[in-house]
Amino acid sequence: MPAILIADDEQHIRMLIEQTLESLEDEGVDILTAQNGAEALEIIKEKRPELVFLDVMMPKMNGFDVCNAVKNELGMKEVYIIMLTAKGQEFDKEKGAESGCDLYITKPFSPKELKNKAREILGL
Amino acid sequence: MAIFNLKKLLLRKDIINLIDMLTGAMGVNICIKDNAGTMLYGTSGSNPACLPITADSQSIGWIYGQDSGKIAAAASLLNYIVGTETQKKALAAETLNKYGELTMLYDFVEKVNAFNVKEIADFLIKHVSEQIRADNVSVMLSDEITGMLKLIAESGIVGAPMTEVGIAGIVMSSGKAEIINDCRSDPRCAMETGSVSSLICSPVKTKEKALGIVIASTIEPYNYTADDLNFFCTLVSQAAFAMDNARLYESLKEAFIKTVHTLAETIEKRDPYTGGHTKRVMNYSIAIAENLGISAGDKERLELASVLHDIGKIGVSDNVLRKTSKLTDEEFEEIKTHTTCGRDILSYIEELKGIIPGVKSHHERFDGRGYPDKLKGLEIDLIARIIAVADTFDAMTSDRPYRKGLPFDTALEEVRKCSGTQFDPKVVDAFFEAVGNNKINLENQEK
Repeated sequence: MPAILIADDEQHIRMLIEQTLESLEDEGVDILTAQNGAEALEIIKEKRPELVFLDVMMPKMNGFDVCNAVKNELGMKEVYIIMLTAKGQEFDKEKGAESGCDLYITKPFSPKELKNKAREILGL
Repeated sequence: MAIFNLKKLLLRKDIINLIDMLTGAMGVNICIKDNAGTMLYGTSGSNPACLPITADSQSIGWIYGQDSGKIAAAASLLNYIVGTETQKKALAAETLNKYGELTMLYDFVEKVNAFNVKEIADFLIKHVSEQIRADNVSVMLSDEITGMLKLIAESGIVGAPMTEVGIAGIVMSSGKAEIINDCRSDPRCAMETGSVSSLICSPVKTKEKALGIVIASTIEPYNYTADDLNFFCTLVSQAAFAMDNARLYESLKEAFIKTVHTLAETIEKRDPYTGGHTKRVMNYSIAIAENLGISAGDKERLELASVLHDIGKIGVSDNVLRKTSKLTDEEFEEIKTHTTCGRDILSYIEELKGIIPGVKSHHERFDGRGYPDKLKGLEIDLIARIIAVADTFDAMTSDRPYRKGLPFDTALEEVRKCSGTQFDPKVVDAFFEAVGNNKINLENQEK
């Protein structure tokens, strides 16, 4: 069963992304959530989700560090990681590339595009 | 709305704990199954009593136990949780919907001002179609001269023909947006609906005036809501301001171009023998450029530069400019200054600085033997290389008091001969392509 992890410390963002991807559950996708970086890393190790939405600014390990741990230290290159960054807050492309993230999306995000992207990555 | 996911709820640790504690305290064993009979909580035993779990008054599963009295408490707790979760979901769905609208609006406002009127209309249609159900979205603006509504852009299937009478006209003059969910029985649009069943129509208006209307419509009956109308009108009003700005900008630009043409004509009047020369050079230059695939910005610069290429002749004295016999070396030197003089004049006008290379270098030669800077090959601005061909060709084919203009074919032969020496071969090729397409000929040109 394919899984998606949503990691953001802001509850309303988790809720919005969860709601955006809700209909994928009917197609058998498992939707998981994490409230901070450390929790996200634990869930990724345990559940090996295909796709992770990772907020950059999170307590207990930021998004870059989580991504770096997953892609470089654990070598889980197959996990597709999308970083979430707030608008107006310049995304550090260099850090993004170093950590091995696949894509970044600015918040506020377009629900339609986010869902299409998720479908594309999961091959639905 | 999606069916409530009971299974997901019963996977949550906090919920499981709650049920465990409750049933433990009451000393009962229960199990919960979904409608298909799949066990979601507990284990099956002898549990004859059962009660339904409902969401939105529909059964989504069953709770089983020893006797109905004891499981009633657990059932009502679960139903309460399901109820609040359902409400939370509904709120989340509505919040997401608004969030999506807001995100789109940000995006729209950020980008809409960079476009011209037609592009704004297309951009508006794209965004409206994404958020509002419609088989057709049309943008109609009233023509600035006739006042008649003109279709600027539309999407989807062909919409209902809208005219000044009927709903479009009503919305235009009232300035108020309307929803008509049953067009066939509404007298306001009975005349013109065609296959349309439901529509939403908003005026495109600025503070002072209505510019036109935007209509979204469906073929099958559809129930447009006040929310749809609100969002629709917000987008349209943003587009209206952008369109008004774009129109102002376009008319300002038009006035500017007209001024430039007037200026060029004024200069030309000093030299009675070259009547119509700048106009023809502009036409030839544009015809050549069509075959060079230059950008829209370069095309605009070319138009202005070709019109103004001889503006520096204002600084050449009358006796030299109008002289019909052979020029002395000194006089020829004076003629040559019209290129640098052109540069000097244009440098005072910010909007024309971009065309200076085109004007100054139109007498440079591809082989580096031209003036004023002896530039060579691609050092010469492309616009100047184009004007050089157009200018020379027109000079050869025009009559002068001291000589008759060359016949068309002879002039063509001359241009061909000078390819690679005086002219850029690529520009010459483009010139001959234009000749081949009959875009350059001696008829239809102003003398």
